[in-house]
Amino acid sequence: MQRPVSSLPLSQAVRLKLGSAGFQLTADLLDFKPDKLSKETGLSEEEAVEVLKAVKGGGGGGGSGDISASLTALELLQKEEELRSIVTFSSQLDECLGGGIPVGKITEVCGVPGIGKTQLCLQLAVDVQVPQCFGGVEGQVMFIDTVGSFLLQRVTDIAAAAVRHCSLLAEDDEQRAAMETFTVETILSNIFLVRCHDYVELLAELHLLPDFLSQHPKIRLLVIDSVAFPFRLLFDELSQRTHLLNGVGQQLITMAINHNIAVVITNQMTTRIRDGQSHIVPALGECWGHAPTIRLLLQWEGSRRLATIFKSPCHVETMVQYQITPEGFRDADQSEMAHSKRPRMDTDQSAAEPKDTSS
Amino acid sequence: FFLSLFKPLFKVQLKSVKDVVCASAPDLQRLTGLSNSDVQQLITAAAAVCRRHPPITAQQLQHGVSGAQLRLGCPVLDRLLRGGLPVGGITELAGESGTGKTQVGLQLSLSVQYPAEHGGLGAGALYVCTEDSFPIKRLHQLIGEQVCLRSDVPADLVSSLRFSDHVYIEHTADLDSLLVCLTRRARLLLTRGLVRLIVVDSVAALFRTEFQADDWLERNRQLLTFSSMLHHLSQEFSTPVLCINQVTDVFSQSHNSMGPSLSTVSPALGLAWANQVMVRLMMSRLQGTVVRGDQSSALRRLEVVFAPHLARDGQNAAVWREGLRGVESWTSNRK
Repeated sequence: MQRPVSSLPLSQAVRLKLGSAGFQLTADLLDFKPDKLSKETGLSEEEAVEVLKAVKGGGGGGGSGDISASLTALELLQKEEELRSIVTFSSQLDECLGGGIPVGKITEVCGVPGIGKTQLCLQLAVDVQVPQCFGGVEGQVMFIDTVGSFLLQRVTDIAAAAVRHCSLLAEDDEQRAAMETFTVETILSNIFLVRCHDYVELLAELHLLPDFLSQHPKIRLLVIDSVAFPFRLLFDELSQRTHLLNGVGQQLITMAINHNIAVVITNQMTTRIRDGQSHIVPALGECWGHAPTIRLLLQWEGSRRLATIFKSPCHVETMVQYQITPEGFRDADQSEMAHSKRPRMDTDQSAAEPKDTSS
Repeated sequence: FFLSLFKPLFKVQLKSVKDVVCASAPDLQRLTGLSNSDVQQLITAAAAVCRRHPPITAQQLQHGVSGAQLRLGCPVLDRLLRGGLPVGGITELAGESGTGKTQVGLQLSLSVQYPAEHGGLGAGALYVCTEDSFPIKRLHQLIGEQVCLRSDVPADLVSSLRFSDHVYIEHTADLDSLLVCLTRRARLLLTRGLVRLIVVDSVAALFRTEFQADDWLERNRQLLTFSSMLHHLSQEFSTPVLCINQVTDVFSQSHNSMGPSLSTVSPALGLAWANQVMVRLMMSRLQGTVVRGDQSSALRRLEVVFAPHLARDGQNAAVWREGLRGVESWTSNRK
């Protein structure tokens, strides 16, 4: 979509004529019929047809912007394997997810208030920045806060703990050099924050996001905390809400694929009466459930916090226990875990002192 | 260029920027007959108008104002809250009757009036009473004892503050009058900078008596309208909002999946309300009394149930003439 016209396989003369008529990107050409195009640019009819064919041909294959027309399944698999996942610092959860939160997909985190959704989002916002020599993605993050829960004190805690953890693991020169640029200050400078106060602002932000992502190609994670909060006010216009949410879902998946980012959104829970019993289910309705690829449910069981993957095309429904410590989102404290150094290629996990401040 | 855009817009029902942002690109194309790139430009322009601030980095946030907090006035309790109430978002204080929730509301109505370097926000408070009448005598007692409570502040500064002039009291018996109060009086006071704290004492009273059990859908709608109004005021004016809530008994543990089910009571108004709350605190009464000089107080406990920046923790406290103070001689139990 963002391809410049000059990259199309056309003759120099044709490209000149297109350029002087003001067509810079292939997106500009999409809606033109050959006769209109030839009138605008001064090309002959056959040349105009050729241009449009080149544009349509280059844009096929899912609109990924690749030069080739389409990818085979094998190529897709290889592409996926190259993409690293973003670790959550809870090794059990990372293992269930096959490495961590996947890039190129939408992951939804649901749960009751206080269960740890925002904590997981803040943890991921720090984890996405872990240097590649430690097995991380070394990317930036765009954090859209609709609730007001992005509090600097907590982000600083989590960032400091991650820096401490990585510096303990640094074994060789490359890792030690990477630690020079992995500090609390740089972590904060790589988190882009936007506060949206209602659903119109959120929609506006999503419209402006593709341009922002193009200007900042190092962004590997988009967090929206929470999607539910502004949309639940539309209780009187449910059909409009569904319509808007469908649009949001499509925009998010397009961005995830085109810009190679992981999208993490949080959702609230709501009560639904079924067969005379009340159940707690994710908010925003059944239709919204189709938008995210992976759905994580965080819930209480007694005094334990559990994370369940309850929708995923590639994972079995599994449940792991986690906890929230002053350092952030971590594995549950089963026994005293000593500091352990893992080889670089494995997912980064936390073996730091687990202080149990949660239940 | 823009003139050619506006003509088709006037033809259709797109009156406001909001309509443009909410419509999808294909819909806009169909309605206006503009080309794809024109529609994209239109949407981008509309979105840019809707956006309040461009993205900033968290590092830049450090140097901004939004990290301010409202101190309670007791260093022990402020440590539990890591500074005090956050300025954006709703803080809830729930508990059984007689635990001291109103004390906290009153204390905050005074602590907000101190300047920022002493943990206040340099403005007054709007105190909305929905059930009992405002405890004016107790407020005057607290004012009289401020020098004793706030030993961290120079005494001449404390005496110079005209506390009672800056506590604006409203009595609203039902939801409609409360909403009117918020849209008019609260907004006016906030715009003029006269007030930087809103206390609603209590929220439960508004919603329990008005609706029957099967009207819960309507009740949830009213709840959402009310809480979103509070939330917007809070964000727009960087003003902490304290909502005092009652508690209900929890009968079946399996249904209380909203918390680690360790207590027999749970804040009222259920999940719909809990979703609107950013910081949830609970006050409870413990066995035992604390004695200090000629005063004695039943022992209380202030707990953090959830907050984005606080650990689940608690602190014992007592209510004295000068207000609520943390009690440090008992070691706080970590759950």
